[in-house]
Amino acid sequence: MNVTGGKSRWIFFDFERLSLVFLGISSVTTQLLTLREFLSQFHGNEITFSLSIFSWLLLSGLGTLLAKSISRPSLSLLSLLLLVAALMPLAQIAGIRLLRDAAFLHGTSQGFYQILFFIIAASGPYCLVSGFILPIIQSVSRRMDNPLESAALYLFDSIGDIVGGILFSFILVYVLHPFKAIAVTSAPLVFLSLAGLRRSGSTVKLFLSYTLAASFFLVSLWPGLEKKTLSGQYGEILRYIESPYGRVIISEEADQKTIWEAGVPLYSDRDLAGSAEKVHYILSQLDKVEDVLLVSGGLGETLNEVAKYNPRSIDYVELDPSLTEAAKQYNLLSGWARARIINADGRLYLSGTEKRYDAIIFDLPEPDSFQVNRFYTEEAMALVKKAMRDKGVFAFALDYSQNYQSRAERRKFSTLFSTTAGHFRNVLVLPGERAYFLCSDADLFDDIPERLKEKGIASEYIEGYFYGNATPERVRSLNQFSEREPSLNSDFSPGLMKTVFEQWFSRHGSSPVVFFAILAALALSYLIFIKKGEYVLFSTGFSIMGTEMLVLFSFQAVYGYLYLQMGAIVTAFLFGLLPGAIIGRSRMGRLNPGKRLLQSDFLVLLLLCVFWLWMAGSKLSPEPWIFLAYSVLFSAVCGFQFPAAAFFLGEEKSPLAGCLAADLWGAALGALVTGAFLIPWMGMERSVIALIIVKISSIIIITRKGGSRHG
Amino acid sequence: METITQGLTRKKFLKTVGLGLAALMYPTLGDSFPGITETGKDIRGEVFRNDAPAKLWKWSIEGSHYSSSGKDVQCNICPNRCYLRPGDRSVCRSRVNIKGKLYSLAYGNACAVHTDPIEKKPLFHFLPGTSIFSLAATGCNLRCLNCQNWGISQKKPEEVDHVELFPEEAVSQAIDGKIPSMAYTYAEPVTFYEYTRDTSRAARARGVMNVLVSNGYINETPLRELCRFLDAANINLKSFSDEIYRALNGGTLDPVLQTLKVIAAEGVWLEITTLVVPTYVDSTEMMKRMCRWIVKELGPDRPLHLLRFFPRYRLARLPATPVEVLEKLREEAMSEGINHVYIGNVPGHSSSHTYCPGCGKLLVERKGYRIGVFHIKDGLCGFCGRRIPGKWA
Repeated sequence: MNVTGGKSRWIFFDFERLSLVFLGISSVTTQLLTLREFLSQFHGNEITFSLSIFSWLLLSGLGTLLAKSISRPSLSLLSLLLLVAALMPLAQIAGIRLLRDAAFLHGTSQGFYQILFFIIAASGPYCLVSGFILPIIQSVSRRMDNPLESAALYLFDSIGDIVGGILFSFILVYVLHPFKAIAVTSAPLVFLSLAGLRRSGSTVKLFLSYTLAASFFLVSLWPGLEKKTLSGQYGEILRYIESPYGRVIISEEADQKTIWEAGVPLYSDRDLAGSAEKVHYILSQLDKVEDVLLVSGGLGETLNEVAKYNPRSIDYVELDPSLTEAAKQYNLLSGWARARIINADGRLYLSGTEKRYDAIIFDLPEPDSFQVNRFYTEEAMALVKKAMRDKGVFAFALDYSQNYQSRAERRKFSTLFSTTAGHFRNVLVLPGERAYFLCSDADLFDDIPERLKEKGIASEYIEGYFYGNATPERVRSLNQFSEREPSLNSDFSPGLMKTVFEQWFSRHGSSPVVFFAILAALALSYLIFIKKGEYVLFSTGFSIMGTEMLVLFSFQAVYGYLYLQMGAIVTAFLFGLLPGAIIGRSRMGRLNPGKRLLQSDFLVLLLLCVFWLWMAGSKLSPEPWIFLAYSVLFSAVCGFQFPAAAFFLGEEKSPLAGCLAADLWGAALGALVTGAFLIPWMGMERSVIALIIVKISSIIIITRKGGSRHG
Repeated sequence: METITQGLTRKKFLKTVGLGLAALMYPTLGDSFPGITETGKDIRGEVFRNDAPAKLWKWSIEGSHYSSSGKDVQCNICPNRCYLRPGDRSVCRSRVNIKGKLYSLAYGNACAVHTDPIEKKPLFHFLPGTSIFSLAATGCNLRCLNCQNWGISQKKPEEVDHVELFPEEAVSQAIDGKIPSMAYTYAEPVTFYEYTRDTSRAARARGVMNVLVSNGYINETPLRELCRFLDAANINLKSFSDEIYRALNGGTLDPVLQTLKVIAAEGVWLEITTLVVPTYVDSTEMMKRMCRWIVKELGPDRPLHLLRFFPRYRLARLPATPVEVLEKLREEAMSEGINHVYIGNVPGHSSSHTYCPGCGKLLVERKGYRIGVFHIKDGLCGFCGRRIPGKWA
């Protein structure tokens, strides 16, 4: 929340300042928990993520603007609002879980508009309240003897945000489930609000507040609450793990156990087809099977099927240790004792290992996020090739329609064919429950039952079903269209994801075109309306959130897990804003603010160019701390801009709400447009270029005649 | 402070934004926002107004079974009975009103053509171990959330690639491949009714048998006409609850039951398939009612296939059906009197074999799509001589 003003005093222990810090702690934790919840509820991809951020910023901004309607708020009102803000996260997270089945048919996946509506409805009330409170705090403080200037308000709010981000991302995420994390991070705000009510409220109000607060702690700390709020979706829950990498659940119905990851059933007992196809299609190609690497997908009978070939070693790489532990506990990982289970990111393992394999199997979901797409890119193929013996075989599978290949599906397969064919002499696609890509420099065979017979390996499933599923004309059909379009899929230009997103929209019968067209029209009318100086803030908000999206998703592309680092990167962006804002509102920031603003705009431009150069030309995989450092630096420059821009505009002429609106709506649009449109449709490299263009337009606005202090 | 647009206050602007956002939501409340209707537990499709192509294409044919009222027409093929004004397109997306006439846009433009094992349809009592020439054009009159062929069933004919395959040529291909039967399948053959009917007629004339694989959502008159050329059918009885039909499939139950009765009465070999969707179609009580109805109306010899559900299409957040549940439902079905109840999508399960209802011996062993032991001779059990219903050779 960006607010600016004149001088400030550094007093930490009055009610209003503590309110800001505690509200920041609570709201950041709530935002991160809500984001994770939405990702779990809607099989999160970049679109869900962007919609969540967009809604959050937009609705918080609206809340702030609504506060203008309150002329002289009392301490009692503020305390009450703080109590509401402290208690609401519990209802919000529970509501998201419980209302999903009320809003939608049980068990269904949802499309763009459904997700957008649900996110707005579920997170709207809290966002409005938390946004509403900030100006109220300022108004109350002005009536006290220690008025909070708007810049100070921004600083204290930021301190709270940073403390909350650090607390959640580095401690709570590892040790507490969501409701308990809420209890911990809301506690200071609850107690502060009660103290405020004691000073100002009536006895009845105080009694009700104490009762509410006590109920809040009782409910949120109740051990059964997590399962209770999730069982509607999952049925009887045997095990619930909120791992740093995502939500893992093991449920039971009749004699069947199902393991769920991020709300999607990953494996149910007795899925013989999947295990048999993914193992025998590839291993039957080899004359001798010595070392096998399985990246994900080891659940069920897979390892036992691999063991039929008597390999010297089976390495099974799975990112999340809690997934493999839970699977072992409930016998969903047969034959695990024969394998070496490595809990690591598959790509990082491949880049680091010196071991060479005869067979490498990727068993992953569809590439509908950067996290998964990175296993289907040129960079991934190069790593696989490096880790494979000369005549080894590599395989992966994709979902497909067995009876008709749509244009999008053919494009998807063509992209993958081109991407793999650059690294392997032979690529063969075989139909089954999924479409299996087999890649090797050695010859490949399409008669799998015959190969199994030669090897004396029994597979009832392959013997019984292969010839019915992989008829010559179906095999021919799959491999014909794989020889067309030469487009490639890479980490930062993920052509494959664009196609997968198209399929996602098609599957849900919706198109985002109308949404984006109307949004563009609204944004355009807003841009025409706003003061020129405010455009600088708009572009800054747009750039910072756009860049935050890019840093998050590029981190995901390099390291493969966002769920864990999401909090750290968001916190890094918040962290940078603080020193930037302090400098921006200091004397240094006030010296020729127009010039300072221009300099900072060039600095933002420079940072974006560095980002683009890394993506476009470098093969480096920066250490995680570099992502964090970049985030801090980028946001520091943007943080500097807000107060500098406000001085540049002149606060008396540019009301606080106007600045806030420009900044917030720029940020909201930046998050949405970058995450849900630019990145999926244009790739990350081009998205950075789009942000560069936005910033250049800002520089042009500043340098234009008339772009002086008074806009 | 200069503003580019003078006179427009921020308050007015916010109001405009609010209205704009409201307008923004409007287009989503139609076909593209099934969530609204899902909460009302009914996802039935609607006619696509003014969505017909400007002119017909090569693969158009005037539809049968429709009535006219001035320039308006009403399609009477299926229970949706789409009332189409000129330029409208039917719920199934394949039928349009062009200048007061009803046309099918799915005639001779097959989008999926494959040769499958007949067991894949599934048909277990009809020419076991043979191949079947299978074809589909686009369209479906239902909106099943678990459709595995949604890429063709929920698309307009113009949206998919196709091969030209008019009825005579389709039959010739089957004959050239020495394939004894043809299936109208994958999408919904009721929506490409004329194509199905004419190909069936041509096939019958040239000694090739016809199999309808359908959701059974068809009116009686066109069905009876089609039955004249059919040899077998597998009808998907998706549940035995009107409420679930509306919520999961966008249809209603009664017309499907009527279809089953008509097909049985017309002497077409009939097998029934039910996909056991967890939390929707896995109720023992419902299975009992369904089987009682089958036995009473169709007799005990109609094979029933209980298929294991796997997450597909938009029902992606449900687990697979527990095998124990399938086994329990099979027991219930058999205790209600159905003689042949199979469990499908569970490779290697013993309930995929055919047993004699008389002596209990194994008659047809199925190893996936392949046939193992086979102890039926001239339609009789090879052990006790009891007649085993079906067409075995």
